[in-house]
Amino acid sequence: MKNLKEISTRLEIAKKKIEKNDQKEGSSNAASLGKALKISTELVAAVVVGTTIGFLLDSWFDTKPLLIICFFFMGVTAGILNVFKLAKKMNEKISKLRK
Amino acid sequence: MATNPMHQFEVYKIGPEINFGGINLSFTNASFFMTLSSVLILLLLFFGTKKKSLIPSKIQFITEMSYTFVAKMINDTAGNNAKSFFPFIFTLFMFVLFSNMVGMLPYSFTVTSHIIVTFVLASAVFLGVTILGFIKHGFKYLELFVPKGVPAVLLPLIIIIEIISYLSRPVSLSVRLFANMMAGHTMLKVFGGFVISLGLLGGWLPLGFSIALTGLEILVAFLQAYVFAILTCIYLNDALNLHH
Repeated sequence: MKNLKEISTRLEIAKKKIEKNDQKEGSSNAASLGKALKISTELVAAVVVGTTIGFLLDSWFDTKPLLIICFFFMGVTAGILNVFKLAKKMNEKISKLRK
Repeated sequence: MATNPMHQFEVYKIGPEINFGGINLSFTNASFFMTLSSVLILLLLFFGTKKKSLIPSKIQFITEMSYTFVAKMINDTAGNNAKSFFPFIFTLFMFVLFSNMVGMLPYSFTVTSHIIVTFVLASAVFLGVTILGFIKHGFKYLELFVPKGVPAVLLPLIIIIEIISYLSRPVSLSVRLFANMMAGHTMLKVFGGFVISLGLLGGWLPLGFSIALTGLEILVAFLQAYVFAILTCIYLNDALNLHH
């Protein structure tokens, strides 16, 4: 039983350490790198999807450069919207952590 | 042959060629490493849960840690409703993680560095979440494309933009994983080639670089699996709890 008691005190100490780490999670390096990777592709993907839709619609309706230009700009807008939404979500999470 | 940095991504068949109704179903090195990572996951979970002791052994500790890690992630991002999707997200996370990590071993093959693999995973998530949204909310799920408080004049434009933004999800999900894995492995190989070509005199600098890059790649391998799983949770959250 002595062994178990010793382990429970060690667990207590470890838990406190984890709590401390959790509090400063907002500035942790790995988490920030993950966020950066997440946001950067979000912007590009929407542009690619928008342009592809424009290209497909163009070849259907025979309106060669018109729709691809329109959908390219809409794709850019959608990309910015994606980044904005993700950033807002991250903001909510951080403000929840600080409470 | 060995100095070509793209050579490591080549898919070739192992064993006999299997043709099934005009479709090439041969067992390739990609299929071998997918099987290998699945078997490794099964072994880890089997031996990790075999002997349930109060004071965990190392392998039990790793198993329990991965369980609580994913459970906490689902709880934080998708809420309590998503608890029933734990097996799916856990499988996805472990598969991507193990494929990435197996790819870090020398002479192995990184399954996730092929866009077809990541795109199939991402589109499975995308289709599943879309179908789930329609089952849960019916046609009200389409409200996802109509943000609140937008003037009626702008509505057609906004709806198209929202649809593009929704369709870009599987693309960004798959391209992110594929690009990170492929870029990292190519870079490792290029620096490895520098070590050989610069020889004993100048090879030490790229050698140091490639050691540092290996560390970074292991971090990226974990991080990409994490990002893949957490974005799946976010999409699940959108489908389960419909709000803007």
